[in-house]
Amino acid sequence: MAPIRDKFTIHSKAVVCQDVELKGDITIGSGTIVHPKATIFAVAGPIVIGSGCIIEESAIIVNRRKEVMRIGDDNLFEIGSRIESPSIGSFNTFSTRCRVHHTVRISSFCVVGAGCLLVPAEDETLEDYTVIYGANAERRKWSGRGKAQEADLRRKHAEYLREMLPKFNRLRRGEASRE
Amino acid sequence: MAPSVLYHCPCFSRHLVPPPPHLASSSHSFHPLHTLFFCEECDAVRCNRCVSVEVSGYYCPNCLFEVPSASVRAEKNRCARNCFMCPNCRNTLSVVPSDPPDVGDGRIAPISTVGEPPFFLYCSHCRWDSAEVGITFEKPTGLAAQLQKSEDSAPDSLEFERLKEHFDPIIRASSLSSSSSAVPSSAAHSHHLHSTSITAAASAALARDIPGVGRYNPLSRSGRGTGSKDRSANKDEMPDYKSRMDATTASKMGSGGGLPDVEFMRHLENVSDVASLEQRWSYSWATSLQTKDLKPLRIPLHSKRSKRCPACTHILIKPEQKAQSVRYKIKLVAANYLPAISIALPHQVEKFGHASAEAAKRPYGKATVLTDEEKEAMSGLLAGETYPFHVSLTNPLYDPIQVKLSVQRMHVAAPSSDPGTASEKARRPPFVVSLSTTPFSVAAFAEAWEYDEDDDILDDDELEARLSGREKEPKPKTKTVGILEKRANITVVGGEVMLRKEARGNVKFNMLVSYTYRADDAPADMGSPSKSKAPATKTFAFYTVVELGPIIPREETRIDVDT
Repeated sequence: MAPIRDKFTIHSKAVVCQDVELKGDITIGSGTIVHPKATIFAVAGPIVIGSGCIIEESAIIVNRRKEVMRIGDDNLFEIGSRIESPSIGSFNTFSTRCRVHHTVRISSFCVVGAGCLLVPAEDETLEDYTVIYGANAERRKWSGRGKAQEADLRRKHAEYLREMLPKFNRLRRGEASRE
Repeated sequence: MAPSVLYHCPCFSRHLVPPPPHLASSSHSFHPLHTLFFCEECDAVRCNRCVSVEVSGYYCPNCLFEVPSASVRAEKNRCARNCFMCPNCRNTLSVVPSDPPDVGDGRIAPISTVGEPPFFLYCSHCRWDSAEVGITFEKPTGLAAQLQKSEDSAPDSLEFERLKEHFDPIIRASSLSSSSSAVPSSAAHSHHLHSTSITAAASAALARDIPGVGRYNPLSRSGRGTGSKDRSANKDEMPDYKSRMDATTASKMGSGGGLPDVEFMRHLENVSDVASLEQRWSYSWATSLQTKDLKPLRIPLHSKRSKRCPACTHILIKPEQKAQSVRYKIKLVAANYLPAISIALPHQVEKFGHASAEAAKRPYGKATVLTDEEKEAMSGLLAGETYPFHVSLTNPLYDPIQVKLSVQRMHVAAPSSDPGTASEKARRPPFVVSLSTTPFSVAAFAEAWEYDEDDDILDDDELEARLSGREKEPKPKTKTVGILEKRANITVVGGEVMLRKEARGNVKFNMLVSYTYRADDAPADMGSPSKSKAPATKTFAFYTVVELGPIIPREETRIDVDT
């Protein structure tokens, strides 16, 4: 296997901490926050992360496929989540220690509950507003009521982090793409 | 299974000696130490089976509001404030406002702090919301009262109210008659009285004759239809109850059952459309089978209970009244009086340590596959072998105690699995336990900082034993019976169990523990001033059952060793 070439494109308004493990071809959009100790790992194809996403500590995002892994806007990856799905829409929440396999594509407004394992053997796509919850990863559809408030909360969350994180962490600057 | 020790509670049994451990009744009378109480007045162990329990208060587990017992019944044992349970996943629901109306230009309008009506209940775990079942509120307060209306108008609830009205005069009449008969109707006896009136009514109802069925009469069995004569004399005669609606049509009102449900099940396409048993279980009333009909539930109240000694009615444990508090006003638990005993098999500790290290080496996911069988094989004891075991005693008292352990002789042999064995062999117990019966001391309990680093003050003979043990330290296996270790308020005693070749079943034996302590400084009150007096000693004895693990019969030995 050819060695992975590092190429990081980080938007000037994104907040990516120094202590983050990045590997491969990664693009991070404006206003996205990557906490220290997060891992983004483009093994095969590149990873493109949209704007306003929050990637918390020890979250792991991996792209094992050749295609580009596209992550939309305003997604929240909570502590210890591990995401390998090839495409992710917007306004999704991946709760603490959940795990999503590379066979699942995720639309928008989905919630994967804390500790849920989403590892189907065959490829599938989670429709909009799907909620995965409980120990057995049960599924149901969210009515979508209250999504405006949640979006508002997500923006405020990101705004706060944009303000506070640089005060206590060194940031990675995106202009210089390293080999 | 790790070796365990359970404590005996005689529960007023006339036999103070517990049943032999291989009998089924043994497990009934032995309990883990942390579930036991100790009555100072009676100087006896009490268990949860023999104490009398009374409710000292009701509270809502969610909002921690203490509910007065008068309103508990009126509110049907559920929280009447703003606490609701998700019908889908049992999480607590929160009241949330609706989204602001869409401005239309794609931007999200600023969200006011007050919130936009209508309000609804929302589950943050599974994202169920009450708007799905058509429940919304104009105000975010007093939700239970707002829901109460719909709850009270449910057909089941109305029917229940009618039934209560119907039976009320009868219960009152019978309670009057029973109260006239010597039982003083004081507040203290109200509960007792209440139950008797209900049981009286119930027994009268059961004794009534059923049309078409011969009346049971112990005196004149041949007489049939004599009941008609008694009818007028029956004081519990009551008018027939007419239900509000016919039972056959009730299912149409959404109370479940009947043809509509059959029809629904027939056209079922998705399993999740049917509410699971768990989801329907906590409802007060019969509900529809369909998931989409599930309504938010008011959270059931919890109670704080105090327990009394059944003999002297002294309180053994009493929680603080406040729902927020987790402390107790009175707490006489056995763990503060009896020495805590734990058992270990040294050979097993080594094995287990080895096994866990091995499991760590395995890839993730396979670590959990350290199966029960493997554990069983490890915790098992091979027939025909001799195993040492360690009994460690921890003294909870502020005075040193003298402990004497003695293993109860088994009068009856464990039932042999194959009846063909010689009777002489069968009568012999399957194993022999050797444990030193000489009393030994366990030091007093003290706070951790009161112990010295090298606080190894031993009695002369113990010191000698210790020294002799030290001499043999290069091969420590030579000494297995006797005192092995003393530190702080813990003493470890060694014993040995020798299994017979034909042994089967579990290594389980009763052990009598008797300990002597200074009586004037009786348990709990350490600050007694009468220290100058000659200390009178007191002895307390209790039984324990020790289980070391299953015996692996000889034939299987090879296989088990291989695994």
